[in-house]
Amino acid sequence: MLEAAIEILLKTVVILALPLGALPLIIHVERRGAAFMQKRLGPNRVGPFGLLQPLADVAKFMFKEEVHPSHVKPFFYTAAPVVALVVALLPLACIPVAGPIEAFGRTIYPEVFRSDMGIFYAFAVSALGSYGILLAGWASNNKYSMLGALRACAQMVSYELSLSTSVVAMIFLYGTNDIHLMVSAQTGYWFGVIPQWGFFYQPVAALLFLVGIFAESNRLPFDLAEGESEIVAGYHLEYSSMKFALFFMAEYIHMIALSALFIIMFFGGYSLLPGFDLIAGNNPTLIVLLQVASLTIKIALMIWFFVWVRWTLPRFRYDQLMNLGWERLLPLGIANLIVTVLFVYFRNR
Amino acid sequence: MAIDILLTLLTVVFSLMVVFSKKTVVAAFSLLMTLLVIAMIYFQLGTVFLSAVQVLVNAGAIAILFVFVMMLINLEQFQNNREKSKWKLVVSTLTMLVLLGVFALVINNNIEALSVVNLTDNSMKTLFAKLFDVYYLPFEMATVLLLAAIVASIVITSHDRTEKLEEK
Amino acid sequence: MSIYYYLSAFLFCLGLLGTIFKKDLISILLCLELMLAGVALLFILFSKATGFLDSQLLVIFMMIISACEVAIGLSLIIALYRKKQTIYTDDIKIITE
Repeated sequence: MLEAAIEILLKTVVILALPLGALPLIIHVERRGAAFMQKRLGPNRVGPFGLLQPLADVAKFMFKEEVHPSHVKPFFYTAAPVVALVVALLPLACIPVAGPIEAFGRTIYPEVFRSDMGIFYAFAVSALGSYGILLAGWASNNKYSMLGALRACAQMVSYELSLSTSVVAMIFLYGTNDIHLMVSAQTGYWFGVIPQWGFFYQPVAALLFLVGIFAESNRLPFDLAEGESEIVAGYHLEYSSMKFALFFMAEYIHMIALSALFIIMFFGGYSLLPGFDLIAGNNPTLIVLLQVASLTIKIALMIWFFVWVRWTLPRFRYDQLMNLGWERLLPLGIANLIVTVLFVYFRNR
Repeated sequence: MAIDILLTLLTVVFSLMVVFSKKTVVAAFSLLMTLLVIAMIYFQLGTVFLSAVQVLVNAGAIAILFVFVMMLINLEQFQNNREKSKWKLVVSTLTMLVLLGVFALVINNNIEALSVVNLTDNSMKTLFAKLFDVYYLPFEMATVLLLAAIVASIVITSHDRTEKLEEK
Repeated sequence: MSIYYYLSAFLFCLGLLGTIFKKDLISILLCLELMLAGVALLFILFSKATGFLDSQLLVIFMMIISACEVAIGLSLIIALYRKKQTIYTDDIKIITE
């Protein structure tokens, strides 16, 4: 009993520390990446190559004056960023960083929450993601914030649908909810070179899921919630210093959690990258370390993709966005689901 | 045992806030918390998948609908939401207590037969084995019902936009 | 764990009290949701006590139906608000006007 509690505590600390620790690096990558794409240099004064810039940002956030506007609703105003951060951290609980480890005489699964529903838990709690924004926009007592919050909530709910159709198709294809089984179904190579990733089985579902995670984390081109040139700053207009930093953190952690889910379903999760299994051999410790490294590299590339798209594409107009979600992506998702079901049926006969 | 009492107390507190709070917005967010705590109760009872579905559907869709509509119609102007007549208050509370007493009595008499033993197999496969087999018709009818609800809500709330332009 | 039976009865009765007490339509819908949650909890308890799994399927159907009901109820409230600018049940008692 005590052993189980210590195990869960350790796993929780690790899975919380990893994204929160990577956050300054991601913020720095975003700012430098943005700068290079716009043909300028970005922050390069603080520390070598500007790597200590996020530290300076944190210091600024902590010492900035907390402005408490008098027209906000008191409890919900303070609760909104906390809700946003907590709900963004929840999907991380079911993501394993490596395969099952055989140690101390039993099998240890390196995920915090292991249950029968596996990956379904992550999609259930990401449905709660709209509450942070909704609370923030409404508690700010401000027309622009309310408008931004309502639009963001409608967008998130709409794109959850196409996300769910693509997830159902993938679960159908793999035949299981369990993440470890999903990842082990994606090991192996075709012709010795191309890995058997879910992306090559279901490119349509991958595209739908990709668009869905851009919409869920409110990143460009779907960021009308915080559209800078349209509605001032949207739902986090009335928030200053630390509370704004919490929203910022919540957005990036949501990005990390959703890209981890994308990689688990479509890019092999923690399965070793093409060159790595030659290095690993049969040494179990090395395999586990290389699995963690593979997952980290894949997530890092995915985050770079997020940054890349953000500074390349313009923002969608609201009616274009709703049109895309309901009239284009949802029928595509359902058609993909029907094709997948037929394919699996004829494969199993 | 302690977890059961804690979860029950939390649910009681939040549901009392739903019914007895003066502001409707506080009631809606308390309903959200009630649904989340009930999802934890489902998890404690062993039905893991149903707790995820409860979070996804009830807390993640229905409660969002409530909060959304409250923001759309600006519920702040409608805060006066309780019955004023003392006579009606007393009689309805008494009735509810009598009903609760009857339920509690019935439960108390049968508590041995009703003791939760977790006899069922908790995996999703055994749960849904009958869904596409015996209960296929209700499943399809639920789908049609959802479609009817979607069409109905769009039709009810769509107003003719050309009318307003002509007025101006 | 048998305390949950009492909790389910309590939720149902409290929801019933709320639907009688409250005067604006959204609060009535909220208390209706509370009643449904109490009944769903009862079904799951029965499923666990007797080993009969179909009650849990019934809970899933109940969630679907409650979602439909809330959607249509809320759209009716919006349509009513657009017509009469009010959501109090006292103000909509008169049919003809």
